[in-house]
Amino acid sequence: MVLADDHALVRAGVKALLASHGIDVVAEAGDGRALLREVRQHRPDVAVVDVSMPLLDGIEAARRIASWSPSTRVVVLTMHDDERFMARAMNAGVWAYVAKDEAIDRLVDAVHRVASGKRCLPENIEPLDDPLTTREREVLQLICEGKQNSDIAHIMSRSVNTVRAHRARLMRKLGVTSATELLNVAEKRGLLT
Amino acid sequence: MKTRLILVDDHAVVREALKQLLDAEPDLDVIGTADCGEAGLALAHRTRPDLVLLDISLPDADGLDLIASFLEHDSDTRVVMLSMHAEPEYAAAAVQRGACGLIPKSDSPASFLETLRHVAAGGTLHVDAGLSPRERDVLGELARGASNEEAAQALGLQPKTVEGYCQQLMQRLDVHTRVGLIHYARRIGL
Repeated sequence: MVLADDHALVRAGVKALLASHGIDVVAEAGDGRALLREVRQHRPDVAVVDVSMPLLDGIEAARRIASWSPSTRVVVLTMHDDERFMARAMNAGVWAYVAKDEAIDRLVDAVHRVASGKRCLPENIEPLDDPLTTREREVLQLICEGKQNSDIAHIMSRSVNTVRAHRARLMRKLGVTSATELLNVAEKRGLLT
Repeated sequence: MKTRLILVDDHAVVREALKQLLDAEPDLDVIGTADCGEAGLALAHRTRPDLVLLDISLPDADGLDLIASFLEHDSDTRVVMLSMHAEPEYAAAAVQRGACGLIPKSDSPASFLETLRHVAAGGTLHVDAGLSPRERDVLGELARGASNEEAAQALGLQPKTVEGYCQQLMQRLDVHTRVGLIHYARRIGL
């Protein structure tokens, strides 16, 4: 499996713990984009992914993985006990959702179940009416991280015009006319992990 | 001689991950863990550790406020903060309150162990000065959504001076847009 968390220290410990439970971590990543590269290369059975990571959050990464590497099942690790994240995670095709204040045993259990084909998700989450597309969410995160359009274009391997188009569309959808308003609305609506 | 440590962090995954790393080291001995400030203080009281690894964000207290309590109880204990964020702010504040240093969770295991050993041997971490009071003021205004003019008025500065601070902050914090600065300011709790 592949492990992604931007806290290198936690990642190292979790890797060692999983190894002691017979789970082999073949690759690690410290941000959402590196995660996609590692999954593309290794095509693991399972990816354990922290929800909040720089450049691309865990849920958007999960969504991408579900579309081009569907044999890779994603388990998200999160600090949030927030239903909004759970709904988004489910929409993104995540197989299990484990909170960081739960013990590692819970994570090990989730990985084993998911590897054997069972989803472990709560039953009664309201489906989410997600206003933004996955690309729009990616652009939103990068704007809030303080990246300029040219950097965003580079990170996403798209043209600056494409980035501008996504930006304009997402601002229109959220009903804002400036980047500052965008940040405010995104924070209020829990669109940032 | 082994260094006796306790770990105080509300996330079981983090506690277990760090314990796993430390258990592999012959000179570092985790004698207990706690999931909140109160339990941490009780544990320290009972076990008198050499070193306390304390998370900055705990459910029942601000980690920074707890440093004094740990030291008050046993002035030989050395406190090292753990933080989710690597921003220099936290390190400067921690050391000011009496901690020997701060380790961001994004640090490598090797760096983490080196810091712990350095502190166990009596050292303190040299930290960046962090943000100046004026820089904090400007960021505080930005966090509230102020424009440069509004910030200038609130702080008794010229708008051009505020603009200068913004440029300076963007460079230091490696953030390239104003929105990025606002987000940063809110993330560090301003």
